[in-house]
Amino acid sequence: MHLNLRICLLLSALAVMTACQFVPAYQRGDLARPEMAFDADPLGSKLNQHIYFSKEASTGGNGVAAGGCGCN
Amino acid sequence: MQLGRMKSKTLMALSASAVALPGVLVSTSAISDTPPTAKVISYRASSYKEDSLASEALLAGSPERYDIEIHQLRYSSPIGEKYSISLDSSYESMSGASPWYTVKSANGNTKVAMSGASIYEKRRDVTASVQRYYDRGNVGASFTISDENDYRSNSASVDGSFTLANDSTTLSLGIAHSDDDINPTDAALFNRIPSANKSTTSAFFSVTQILNQFSIIQTGVSSTRAGGYLTDPYKLSDHRPEERNQFTWTTSWRRYFREQRSAFHANYRFYDDDFGVRSHTIDFALHKSFSRSITLVPNVRYYQQQAADFFTPATDFARTMEFNSSDYRLSKYDALSAGLKFNVQLGDYTLVLSGERYRTSGSSNPAMIDFTRLSAGIDYTF
Repeated sequence: MHLNLRICLLLSALAVMTACQFVPAYQRGDLARPEMAFDADPLGSKLNQHIYFSKEASTGGNGVAAGGCGCN
Repeated sequence: MQLGRMKSKTLMALSASAVALPGVLVSTSAISDTPPTAKVISYRASSYKEDSLASEALLAGSPERYDIEIHQLRYSSPIGEKYSISLDSSYESMSGASPWYTVKSANGNTKVAMSGASIYEKRRDVTASVQRYYDRGNVGASFTISDENDYRSNSASVDGSFTLANDSTTLSLGIAHSDDDINPTDAALFNRIPSANKSTTSAFFSVTQILNQFSIIQTGVSSTRAGGYLTDPYKLSDHRPEERNQFTWTTSWRRYFREQRSAFHANYRFYDDDFGVRSHTIDFALHKSFSRSITLVPNVRYYQQQAADFFTPATDFARTMEFNSSDYRLSKYDALSAGLKFNVQLGDYTLVLSGERYRTSGSSNPAMIDFTRLSAGIDYTF
């Protein structure tokens, strides 16, 4: 992937973020729910990522990772 | 001032990094990324089973693929008001046969020679993590050891997050390093390399942003450089470069629907490396609460990858290319998986049941696997 494309993708994402609205603390209850976490199940995610790491050529970019292993 | 701190900590809870690296075990739970208020012990038992190789694709050896039993244990706890620790361990016992080499048959079909006898192997890993919390951020470190009879990996990482003055944006970054030792079994018998090592160094950066009262987004990039022996010693005539540079760009979005009592998760990952592999991964999940104690989570995941530049459908015994591999994992293919998770909370205990079915298509290598995973477990909070 060309560096320029990478930069464009990142800048696009950042541009979306600038369109956000400020949310006061007392309105953040729904955002703070456990099911809204980026990883709501650490053990389940760790196992899934380990399986994908051992069966696919891609790795990284997820919420959890383990050390290297002989599976890939 | 107090309100500002509270807002900052709320965002920190939401914005734990979702960009991971080899060796990194970054906490991403909304609860555990602020100083936790309770101790939690979690246990999971899982069964992973690969479908057998189709009989028409078998050249030699056993068609039975891997069956793996996995046990996972996790303990997390606050230490005072500014620290937390967590310990993760897992134990795997596996048996089955794995692809050894592939050939083109007279009718043009690719056939797979599997390892003749069943392989029995065990793997253990332990990760210890510590986190220090500040008013506007946190820093953490973790150490992981993974041990098999023919492979050992030691890795360490540090990471940190900082919430900007707008109380809506959190920046996260981290680095990790792993040193791995490889000691293939029966090296002399099968002319495998007797011992080798490789190292992996990674860095990531991510931005988390509250979009509105019900949605939050996170985007990040990571870069990984692996060097050393990157070849699979158990495949015949497998020759890969001794350096691999990997890049990922990920974006995750969460949206809560209050009336439906549901949280929608969407994740995308772009992956690119100098082996020539490029992939796209997208997955969706819906966390639907039916009462205070019951949650159902259906999910679907789609993965698509291009082949590595040096992938050959049939093993290149003559070594016509400097680098070559017939490893099915380096071929072009698609994978679609679907899963379901069921959580029931009973007082301080939460029971968890989950399953996933993973199917592949589009590969020129018949060794490509489909698998089924089933898991059951319990969380105890005290």
